[in-house]
This record gives sequence, C-alpha cells and structure tokens, in this order.
Amino acid sequence: MQLLSNARPARFAIAAGALLAVAACATPGSEPSQIADPLEPVNRYIFAANLAIDTTLIEPAATFYRDFVPDPARESVRNFLRNLETPILLANDVLQGDIDAAGVTGRRFFINSTIGILGLFDPAAEMGLARRDEDFGQTMGHYGVGPGFYIVLPILGPSSLRDAAGNFVDYYLDPLNHYAENTDRGYITISRTVARGIDARSRTIETLDEIERTSIDFYATIRSLYHQRRQSDIRNGTTPSLPKLDLTSDDADDRTAALKQ
Amino acid sequence: MMADSMIQLRRFVLVLVAATTFSLSAAAQQARADTTEEFIAQLGDRALQVLVQGAQSEEQRADAFRALLSDGFDLPLIGRYALGRFWRKATPAQRSEYVKLFEDFIVTTYAARLGEYSGETLQVVSSRADDSDTIVVSEIVREGLQPIRVDWRVRNGDQGFKIVDVVVEGVSMLLTQRDEFASVIQRAGGDVEGLLNRLREKNDAQN
Repeated sequence: MQLLSNARPARFAIAAGALLAVAACATPGSEPSQIADPLEPVNRYIFAANLAIDTTLIEPAATFYRDFVPDPARESVRNFLRNLETPILLANDVLQGDIDAAGVTGRRFFINSTIGILGLFDPAAEMGLARRDEDFGQTMGHYGVGPGFYIVLPILGPSSLRDAAGNFVDYYLDPLNHYAENTDRGYITISRTVARGIDARSRTIETLDEIERTSIDFYATIRSLYHQRRQSDIRNGTTPSLPKLDLTSDDADDRTAALKQ
Repeated sequence: MMADSMIQLRRFVLVLVAATTFSLSAAAQQARADTTEEFIAQLGDRALQVLVQGAQSEEQRADAFRALLSDGFDLPLIGRYALGRFWRKATPAQRSEYVKLFEDFIVTTYAARLGEYSGETLQVVSSRADDSDTIVVSEIVREGLQPIRVDWRVRNGDQGFKIVDVVVEGVSMLLTQRDEFASVIQRAGGDVEGLLNRLREKNDAQN
C-alpha cells in the first residue's frame, strides 16, 4: 500500500472527473444494442492503421509466439500475467460490492502464488476457483454508467469513453505500475502490456482472420462484437438478456431505431 | 347442513380443477422445454455427422450444411430482423432479393467455419421460456479448454421448432449482423441497394 501513496489523491481527482464526464453521457436504465459512434471517421482511420500495424507486426509476432513456444510455456506466461493482475481484479470485485468474488480472487492469488509457483500455474482453477475478469470499466457499467461512445485507440484497439477512463483508473489501482514509476522502471509496464497483447492476440488469430474474411463491414462487426461483449462482461456472463425479437410489428423496429438516434 | 356440504364439495372440486389445470400447464411447459432441448441436441448431433463424414466433397458438405441450416433456422425471419428498420424502406423486389442473398451469405459464412472443426461436442445444459420463445442454454465442450457458452433462441411456429438467434458468450449473432448491415446501409447514404451490392459481391467472391 506504501507504493500507492505518492500523488494518489491528485490522480484520483482526475479519474473521478473523468468518471463524472462519462456518467453524464450515460443513459441510465436503457441498454441500447448499438453503441454511439460520433467519431466514426476518425475511428475508422485509426482502425485501418491498427490493422496495418497488426498485419505487419502484431499478428506475425503472435503467430510466431504461438507456433514456436510450447503450449505449457505459453500457459505459464498467461497464468503469470493474470496473477499479476490480482490487485485490479480484487479492487474491482470490492468496488462492485461482490465480496464472494473478492474472496475467490484472494484465494486464487494465495494458492497460485504459492502452490502455483509465483503464479506460473493455475492450480486454483482445478480446485473450482475460476477466474473472472474485472476492470474499472465494468465496475462503472455495474453501477449503470453507459459506454458513452465508441473509441478506437491507436494499437490498443476498440474501447469506449467509459472503458478508456476505466483503463486509466485501473492503471493507478495497480501497485506494480506505481513501483515501476517510482523506481524509473518504465520497461516493466511496457513489457507487461506487450506480453499481454501478444498473448491475447495469439489466441484469436484464426477467429479474427475469419471474421475479417466473412464480414462485409469489418469495422462495424468489430464495433458490435466489442459492445456486446462488454455488456456481457458487465453482467458477468450470467443469464445474458437476449435481444427481444418482436417481428410481429414493423413499428417496433422503427421505434427502437428512433430512440437510438 | 346440506348447503354447507354443497359448498364444501364445490370448493373441493374447484381446488381439484385448479390443481389439475396448474399441473397440466406446468407439465405442458416442461414438455415444451424438454422437446426444445431435444431439438437443439438433435441438431447438434446432425451437425456433428456432417462434420465427421470425411469422405465427401466440399460441395456435398456445403449442401448438407445448407439443408441443416434451412431445417434448423428460420432464415427468412432472421434475415428480416437483420435488416431491422430498413426492411420497411426496401421495395418488394429488394426484399425478395435480399432474402435470397442473405441465405447465401449465411451459408457461405458459416460453412467457412466448418473447416476448423476439431472434436468439439455440444451439450445442452438447460432451457427457459422467454416471451413466446424458448432459450436453450448449451455448452460447446472442447478438449482441455474452457467450454464455450452458446444460447439458442428457439421459436415454435407453423413449421415446428426454428432457431432465430444464436448467442455465443453473450454475443448475439443476429444483433452483430444487424449492426453490420445497418452500418453498410448508412454508409451508402441510407440506400438498401448499397447492402445488396455488397452481399452480391461477397457471395460471388466466395462461390
């Protein structure tokens, strides 16, 4: 906790400001199926640039990583990175008032850091303690904050006003980032981000290729998938409220469409 | 005395009728849920058969898959919903062309995914009523990996059970398709013809 002390109040004030800005844009109660995209031309431009970077750099690196590093080693890399994310998960479990989840996160950390040898293995999962991803974007969503609008971040890819602000908060929730900053070891944060990116990308090579190949508007498809996936994560994947299909009246479609605009 | 026992008898009959009606409707609901689950499980088995029949040409496989899709899914309805509010703006000629293009598009899109089959099985977990539809919850079980949750929205209409939406890990295929089509139409200045052009191109390229 010592690590967190420096300059923390000021940063939290900024984060809180960002939060309020997002909350102000949010439409409480409703969960529109489509995410607003007022920056679409800029977003499409960044999306295209990201694709170029992905094709020339990230995808080859991820493919190389997947094809030449043995499965168990890659699993351990992933387990290790995930174990390091514990503070973020724990903080967001607590912020969402989910004490059970916080207990699972805490026990997972304890078990995997000891029996799992510094997090290289995930024996906790075999004991029935499954990992659940949490972040501050989801925490805001949990309290009814809408996504605001869609943002494509350079290199990092799809996000939203809420989720980008959430990343910012998560960054400061993580003691490792403070340690890296306070000791001038910026490479820790950077290499961790790169490793996470390569790990994540190495698991979606075929899926993304296929979506790109089969879609007629790749950008719009990814935007829809991102939004739906985040909504599902906020609900923690339980009983997804499936979109209501009312095909008996055409007016229903028009009404929802009108509401969205 | 007489009146009393009449009232009691009547009450008893009422309770009996109420109880029977209740249990009947509960049983009917249960039966509907069971048969819907059965429908999904059978469809999964059939898909598996198409996938594991090794000795067949790509064309035969695509045909089998097309038959499976049109049996199991209400493609015209899905297509119409995927077009959303633009359905009304389309002319009758555009609508009928769209329905055909959509079916081809779906078959080629999902046939492409068949190649990646590697021993997954479909397991039906549970089901629940949702308005007039039944949601069947299932898992795609993979060797050594976390199962993928797939929810099927099934409608029991004139032609029996038909799937109207597939929701993979909380992501609705129908909504994704609708968002994509809406974007294409909007970028074409709100003209449905823009979408039809893109679908024609896509289908031609893949055939």
